[in-house]
Amino acid sequence: MSSSDTTRDPFLKLIEAFALGALDADERASVEAHLAAGCSECAQALDQARWLVSQLAHLAPEAQPSDILRGRLLKTVRAEAAANSAPARSSQQRIPFWMWGAVAAVVLFALYNLREAQSLHEAHRQMQAALDEQVELQKKSAQELALARREALILTDPKSIKIPMPAGKAGLPELHATWHAAFGIVIYGEKLPVPTGNRTLQLWLIPKTAGAKAIPSVNIRPESDGKFHLLIQEPPDKQSDTKLLAITEEPEGGSQQPTTTPIWVGSVAGK
Amino acid sequence: MFLAVPTPSESSGVSLDAALVQRLLQRDVRAFEQLYDRHSRIVYGLVLRILQQASTAEEVVQDIFLQLWRNAAQYDGSRGPFLPWLLTLARNRALDHLRLKSERQRRREEQSEQLPPIVVSAPDFEAKLDDKRRAARVRELMSALQPQQKRAIELAYFEGLSHSEIAARLEEPLGTVKSWIRNGLLKLKEGLQTTA
Repeated sequence: MSSSDTTRDPFLKLIEAFALGALDADERASVEAHLAAGCSECAQALDQARWLVSQLAHLAPEAQPSDILRGRLLKTVRAEAAANSAPARSSQQRIPFWMWGAVAAVVLFALYNLREAQSLHEAHRQMQAALDEQVELQKKSAQELALARREALILTDPKSIKIPMPAGKAGLPELHATWHAAFGIVIYGEKLPVPTGNRTLQLWLIPKTAGAKAIPSVNIRPESDGKFHLLIQEPPDKQSDTKLLAITEEPEGGSQQPTTTPIWVGSVAGK
Repeated sequence: MFLAVPTPSESSGVSLDAALVQRLLQRDVRAFEQLYDRHSRIVYGLVLRILQQASTAEEVVQDIFLQLWRNAAQYDGSRGPFLPWLLTLARNRALDHLRLKSERQRRREEQSEQLPPIVVSAPDFEAKLDDKRRAARVRELMSALQPQQKRAIELAYFEGLSHSEIAARLEEPLGTVKSWIRNGLLKLKEGLQTTA
């Protein structure tokens, strides 16, 4: 079962209040994170809830804005419309169709227009490319924001489980894991030694079932300054079925089963 | 690019609005004038109710209609009707002013000339009533709520208050306020749905 299946109903109940803007910050953040995670049912419900909320405008008595406002708006709009159409009119007026030189003029004009069109086409292509770049940047920012919100939710939601992960070797710092059943796991730590060569650190989920094999998860190297920061949006097993989280050092690319003794271990089931 | 100009049907306010917005794309001033005359009263009434000050309300209304003129393409008629979209936009703008958003921030947004992407989808039963009859029905249904319940919804809608802020304002438990708002909105929805 995916996380959206387990959390869909509670979020649907919040959609009207979300559309109204009445949710407090924590609930609003959780709904935003849920929508950012791509729940289409809630997104559709939100579009319709906005319609319902918009009907509340009818509670306000209609009122007539001043004629000055109407005049000012129309003046601006007419000026902008005229500015847009002016170049087209002046181009037409240049055609001297009543003269013997009409053919030459028309040809010249056509060539001129062709050149202008090419130039405009190029300008349009460049603008489109710039626009596409901006759209990509916005998409990337939106994705980063969604991840940050998800992480904040995992770290602050009272339903999350805090899992200290002390090191089994002396002199190594403790890692801190936080696991939300629906939104994933965040693990962070500082001042970690960077593994030698191409070796990496790998997370494992140790099932509660006796004799079951460790389930491999992501592998990552700490930053050069020793910072370690990991967000696992979809852990490979359920929180309720997991006994321990463990981190080992593995060859580059990770392993299917641990090849070294775990360095950090944290108890999930013991909480 | 060739753009078709649909002939507006006077019998349908929704399709008329959609057709007028299409004509805005071709810089049709007459279409803008018609849209303004059709909706400026409800938009101004809403913004005035939120801001409580005529001059500021007119500034906001001017901004909304100019943004509409300059960015009509951002309204997607296939995703929902025009008026609820416009009212959602107007309410958001007015609440931004109410929250004393900094002048610099507002100016930056206005200069960007971008309307926020808002999708407002009408339910199937929207076509049962025209705007005028639906407005009367909304008022009737809201008046049937408990006075405090109606007040809670109005505080959220017109003043932009959250559940906690409303609970503090009305000196009622938070859970009660949440139930009032949710149940009130559901009653409004059911009432509009069952209206013949």
